[in-house]
Amino acid sequence: MIAGLLLALISGSLVGLQNIFNRKVNERMGSWATTALVLGMGFAASLTFGLIFEGKRMLPLHNMQPWYSFSGLIGVGVVICLVQGVRLLGPTYAVSIVLTSQLGFALLWDSLGWFGLDKIPFTYNQLIGVLVIVGGILVFKFGSERENRNFAATS
Amino acid sequence: MKGILFAFLGGAFITLQGVANSRISQGIGTWQAATITQLTGFIMALLILLVVRDGNWQGYKQVKPLYLSGGALAAVIIFGNVTAIQQIGVTFTISAVLIAQLCLTLLIESNGWFGLAKRKMRLPQFIGIGMMITGVLILKF
Repeated sequence: MIAGLLLALISGSLVGLQNIFNRKVNERMGSWATTALVLGMGFAASLTFGLIFEGKRMLPLHNMQPWYSFSGLIGVGVVICLVQGVRLLGPTYAVSIVLTSQLGFALLWDSLGWFGLDKIPFTYNQLIGVLVIVGGILVFKFGSERENRNFAATS
Repeated sequence: MKGILFAFLGGAFITLQGVANSRISQGIGTWQAATITQLTGFIMALLILLVVRDGNWQGYKQVKPLYLSGGALAAVIIFGNVTAIQQIGVTFTISAVLIAQLCLTLLIESNGWFGLAKRKMRLPQFIGIGMMITGVLILKF
């Protein structure tokens, strides 16, 4: 469990870092050029790591199924939704809803165990846990927004 | 209303992506999953770019190489995400990812690293992160 938790924490930190880098690229190149660049870099890096760690075993894809490659399109859907969401709602509202929806669907997925993942039975503890996390996200996002606005007004 | 729908779907897609990657990595391996899904995504984004032409390829000259290469982090991100989902489940993984993500962003913004405007850390942000960690503990025990 500790290994899984550590990996998740490392992933999350890198997501935070990547978001900041992407924001910088986005300012100059626009969202689709940025998306193409980011996914292209990710592709090249994954291929390189795969070849380093697995060598020749990397390439013959024995159990390949057609839908595997289509699932890459989900990432494109993410970009469309996030860009439109932020444009229509502003970052604070949009990101709060995105994070909440992410957690809600995670809970749904665990309890349904679709796609052959291990099913983690739904408990009220999990629901309460997720609700407290969502509460934390809202306090984090909206609390700081209000304070910053006050700060801007007074300075 | 439309904005809410976009944001809601965006969150659903992010979770779906993690789950699909985990499933695919069971079939062909984790690096293979990351390579293939990002290749398809890359091709699609390129096609869209050619159609909408909103981009400015020349803009890359004004961006530091470090920022341009940020996409490469995704290899490690996907590997970590997929392995964590398989070991500790989707909800626990996503919760931990979000907490680490918000903490690191907060750290960077409060120090003004990478040329970002410095933003002071404020009490609501600490309370928010405290609540999120409490939520994770409730989730697990």
